Amino acid sequence: MTLFLKHIGRFLVLGLLQVLIFNQAEIGWGLQFMPYPLFIFLLPIETGVVYLLLIAFGYGMFIDSLSDSYGLHTSAILVFAYLKPMIMKLFSPRDGYESTVENAYASLGFSWFLKTYGLLLLIHHLWFFLLEIFKLNDLLFTLQKTGLSFVSSFILSMMLQFLLVSKSSKE
Amino acid sequence: MRNFLAFIRRFRILLVFAFLQAIALSTYFTFKEFPRSQYLTTASQINGQIMVARNELTKHFNLDQNNKALQRENIKLRNKLPQSHIRMENGAVKINDTLFHQQYMYIPATVIKSSHTKRNNYFTLNVGKAQGVKRGMGVFSDKGIIGVIHYSSEHFSVVKSCLTENINIDVMIEGSGQFGLLKWNGHDARKGTMWGVSNDSDVKLWSKVVTRGGGGIFPRGLTVGKVSAKKPVEGEPLWDIEVLYSEDYRSVQRVYVIKNLLKEEQEALEANIPPDPVE
Repeated sequence: MTLFLKHIGRFLVLGLLQVLIFNQAEIGWGLQFMPYPLFIFLLPIETGVVYLLLIAFGYGMFIDSLSDSYGLHTSAILVFAYLKPMIMKLFSPRDGYESTVENAYASLGFSWFLKTYGLLLLIHHLWFFLLEIFKLNDLLFTLQKTGLSFVSSFILSMMLQFLLVSKSSKE
Repeated sequence: MRNFLAFIRRFRILLVFAFLQAIALSTYFTFKEFPRSQYLTTASQINGQIMVARNELTKHFNLDQNNKALQRENIKLRNKLPQSHIRMENGAVKINDTLFHQQYMYIPATVIKSSHTKRNNYFTLNVGKAQGVKRGMGVFSDKGIIGVIHYSSEHFSVVKSCLTENINIDVMIEGSGQFGLLKWNGHDARKGTMWGVSNDSDVKLWSKVVTRGGGGIFPRGLTVGKVSAKKPVEGEPLWDIEVLYSEDYRSVQRVYVIKNLLKEEQEALEANIPPDPVE
């Protein structure tokens, strides 16, 4: 039950932070802060993929309806959720994941976090901006947007996961 | 049948993914052109309230700037009052009121949500159908045009701003009268593009670009911006004209929605134009 509440809390905190604060922070050069996929990433490893997809769909619609992007975030977060189990498997530790451990930087180390979350986030951003601009003429601009936003989103996500994942869950 | 079920079980995850992805993509591509329901936009009641709460918190940040804008507009209007003019001639003046019939009405509104870095940027206003706002009405501020109403619910509406790809507002260059459509290429929030001016015409840099008032959305002559650069389009006899917007869309707050009282009359008349004969 507490686990359930914890994830609901993360849903609300990350979703509302994205919509109310990060969406408004518009710096220029195509830079956008999008750390919201962290919620999907922090869901337990043993979650079934179908459930994962359904949760991602609801989460994406929640963000879309509050930022007038009509399904753009939903589409990108679905890709994120679909690829998550595969990439987690690809970079799994030698003895596999312990079911009690949260998949966070604190418990599994930075290089693991960079490889899994970083790769997923990069794919998410690339998909998002390709769909948003939807013109191969502007490929360079798309890549510029993706690169800049990816770096800033990744750093933000790292800070946020320190706030959201309690130390006690490490044991 | 058993094979079919086995197939579904085997590709269950991929099928669910494809199904949900199809819903998301079809919403994205249809809503961009024509939103069918308010629930996926910030015009819906709950989402609107969240945006109002956010705006209550942040609206004071630009208070100083807003006051200056209102003051500037006040001065402009005050200069037009009869009291501020000296009478040059003492003859009797008769004004025949029935010569003028009001065509445009203005509804004041506040922008409660906006963005400028996305490919298509939509603003949310705190007025809706209850105030008489409908899809297709124009929106402008004291400095220039803002966009066209995309969707309106009971108390909120979403504006397709001048920072969207296919805003297609009818604009012309003041003085020479060459006209074209306004577009935005998604790179710079200060600059738009004017499309459709033939390259044999002489376009002067820094001449003013104003609305043409063709579609009955905007009155003629509202400021859009200035011509800041021009270059020929490859393969077409057209100028690619860069328009420097007079409004800074990054900090717009007070706007007016235009209600055209004669729009229905104009549309009814234009519906009578016979279609082109098909060969």
